[in-house]
Amino acid sequence: MLSLTPRIDTNLQSLLDDHEFLAELLDALGSPLNLVLPRQLAANVAAFRETYRRHRLGGRLYYAHKANRSGALLRELAAGDTGVDVASLGELQHALGAGFTPDRIVATGPKNREFLWLAARTGVTVSVDSADELAELAGIVAGHRLPRVPVSLRLAGFTSTGVRVLTRRSRFGTPAGRLPELLDVLEKHPDQLELTGVAYHLDTVGLPEKAVALEGCLAALDACRARGLRPRSLDIGGGFGVNYLADGAEWDRWTTELGQAVLGRRPRMTWDGHGYGLRAENGTLRGTLALYPAHRPVSGAAYLDRLLGTPAPELGRPLGELLLDHMYDLDIEPGRALLDQCGLVLARVLSADGDAVRLDLNARDVSLEEHGVLMDPVVIPRTGDRRAGPAAVHLFGNLCLEADLITRRTVFLPVLPRPGDLLAFVNTAGYFMDFSATTALRQPVARTVAVHRSGGRHRWCLDEQYWPVHPRQETR
Amino acid sequence: MRYDDITEAIGATPLVRIDPAVHGLANVDLYAKLELLNPFGSVKDRAAWHMAGPLLSGAAPGDTLVELSSGNTAKALALLAGMHGVPFKSVTNRMKVPEIKELLLLLGAEIDELPGQSECLDPTDTDDPLTRMHQRLAASGGGYLHTDQYFNERNVDAHAYGTGPEIVKDLDGRAPDYFVACVGTAGSSTGVARVLRQHHADVEVVGLVAAKGDFIPGIRTIDEVHEVGLFDPAVYDALETIDADDAIDGLLTLVRRCGILTGPTGGGAFQGAVRFLRTIDAGLTSRKTAVFIVCDRVESYLSYVRDRRPELFGRPPRRNSAGTLTGAELAAAPVLGVGDAQRWLTETNAVVVDLRSPYAFQALHIAGSINIVDEVFAELLPAGLPFSRRRPVLLVCPVGEKSARYSALLTRMGHPDARSLHGGIIAWRDAGAELVRD
Repeated sequence: MLSLTPRIDTNLQSLLDDHEFLAELLDALGSPLNLVLPRQLAANVAAFRETYRRHRLGGRLYYAHKANRSGALLRELAAGDTGVDVASLGELQHALGAGFTPDRIVATGPKNREFLWLAARTGVTVSVDSADELAELAGIVAGHRLPRVPVSLRLAGFTSTGVRVLTRRSRFGTPAGRLPELLDVLEKHPDQLELTGVAYHLDTVGLPEKAVALEGCLAALDACRARGLRPRSLDIGGGFGVNYLADGAEWDRWTTELGQAVLGRRPRMTWDGHGYGLRAENGTLRGTLALYPAHRPVSGAAYLDRLLGTPAPELGRPLGELLLDHMYDLDIEPGRALLDQCGLVLARVLSADGDAVRLDLNARDVSLEEHGVLMDPVVIPRTGDRRAGPAAVHLFGNLCLEADLITRRTVFLPVLPRPGDLLAFVNTAGYFMDFSATTALRQPVARTVAVHRSGGRHRWCLDEQYWPVHPRQETR
Repeated sequence: MRYDDITEAIGATPLVRIDPAVHGLANVDLYAKLELLNPFGSVKDRAAWHMAGPLLSGAAPGDTLVELSSGNTAKALALLAGMHGVPFKSVTNRMKVPEIKELLLLLGAEIDELPGQSECLDPTDTDDPLTRMHQRLAASGGGYLHTDQYFNERNVDAHAYGTGPEIVKDLDGRAPDYFVACVGTAGSSTGVARVLRQHHADVEVVGLVAAKGDFIPGIRTIDEVHEVGLFDPAVYDALETIDADDAIDGLLTLVRRCGILTGPTGGGAFQGAVRFLRTIDAGLTSRKTAVFIVCDRVESYLSYVRDRRPELFGRPPRRNSAGTLTGAELAAAPVLGVGDAQRWLTETNAVVVDLRSPYAFQALHIAGSINIVDEVFAELLPAGLPFSRRRPVLLVCPVGEKSARYSALLTRMGHPDARSLHGGIIAWRDAGAELVRD
């Protein structure tokens, strides 16, 4: 048994235990089905707020909307005090419609003129990637006689001294060394643009790189002040991570065994001997494991805490204290970390023949494999009968494609599934639920329902029907 | 002994018997091969010189010596490169030992740290650090001399010609019955094992690796050894796992009881050797000999040990430190709100001490204030009050927390009028009070 048991909190577990409720939902709405748990968000927001409190820092938490399309999750957050990070015209419309006021929205990512116009018209903060984009925005504001737009400057390519800390190249942001060009544009358009701060987002789990970037942003903010501007915030983006697995020892064992399997020293444990990035060359293991570190004891708010406690590479003082010394707000854009334990994808088992389990969903409906996150699904038996286990199986999707495997890993389940059983892919709200779903082959895209518990039982509604207007007795 | 060149001092290290009262083995004589006495301080001096020697003597002007290393190999190569007037670049996944990093910079090495794993997975990004380095070297179009310690047979040869024969010679021409070595590049264990087996086919070779997820300098984890080209599982009769705790326990025993100033790698080798030998000691019917390698010295690993065993560095609390304040003293700390503070400052001509970092102070501060960063302030106080009792003081920090602690401390030290700005400079700014940038 090489299990990778998912970490499941009590609320998610109580939903998984409600077999009848889940079976009814799937019968009514079809397989696959996405379930989101909007009321779970509060705990994750509170954890981040607690880290802010511990470091005495102020600032805004922007939910990275791209992690999930759900309206219920967005509206629930709109009811609280977080903001939202939108990365497309559609996301901006969605956020405005969910009740976010413009002061709680930041527009990031690639932007077309329509996106820029709606952002400027409504007065949301625009996180600008280049001098050209900044000039284009100023042109739109001037041309349409709009009020001044708050902007934040996304920077990249920070340099370190002494030890050179290398970072993967990013297609976003302006090289930090070219900040003066951005400031020139700002100075040219004082009636169109108002600087709120600077930002970075690095796609890495490495703290040293983020420390270099954060300190680089502090220097950039100082450069802004020296030019007479009044920035007040530093946006450090997201990438705080989630711990997906209940047991680190399982993860350690599985990854060790994978290396042995790739070297041919134990039987295969993946479809076709897939190595997830590892390969054998003359008996030596080469390549690198192209998987998300599914067991991450320091993730989410705890990772932020660790980052803020990291000494600045140049100045030596912990980054959190430097921010506080400078009186800057710390803005963050968590996506995945905010959605921890907030949803699951349900699918029906179509057949189970030997080690081949066919499911009525495909790899794009639950894009765990695409994102390199390995964790076992939970079997929800249709009837309460006892059955044989454990079982080593492969999970096949419903597309007529050789490559449509839900995972290329051999999955060890505690019991052998039967046709009609349900499989629940838990903790999939962040990026794995509807991120890549398509109607290819005219297979249906999953419906999404919002689930909560009240009056001692689970209740549900369609995602679009969910509004955070809860009668008082339901709020406890 | 007189040498023309420091490289001649590499090798010929002593083999020292460990007092049986320390290891407690009844039937085994345990010897330590003191590789820490090599001139650059570690067992890596041998391999570094054996690999780099030919490259350096054939170096063209403008060539750079390069290696994937974050430890002793880099240190030895940096020194050797310096002797030959060749620049040295160390490429590393992550420098985990700060002292070594500082030392390499001091020796004139250039250090490149490779990026961490991406948070959003890129499945096409599957190159290991070594492959990535090879690509960078190839893309640069030459000019690099790569010692390639994880795959270079000369790494093994250095020990097959040096370390191994020395052990046999010092044991009067006999190989030991047991040889215990930590596995890093696998160079020393493979090379020594080869020689020992030529003398004594039944020598038992025990390789020590680190537990998964653990970190012991110079030792690969049970998974990482498979990424090493020189690693051949057939060399070892057994592969045993040790952890950082073992390494520090062994280090403490050797430095405190045996006069051997070992680092954690040698400490781990000792601990692993004794643990392994204990399992067989009672069943032995004749006297046996065992050898382990003391890889390097302890001085570079003070922070490594401090992070894991802070109590070993415990000192009594210092006089006049904020940590000794009682709850009652803190509650009684004299504080002033922003409005009151503004009035008080004009009335009393108090000195304003800003405890924030210099960069933040220079960006914005209360007019006329002076900047003593809190760490420096804490260093000043054990020696007494750093300003006159006759001048009132207003302490300022970001949110009024640290300043309250120090105003309580100054009060305890006898200052009659040391106050803290309530809510700190953030409250001052939020109240619209004046901040300046000089």
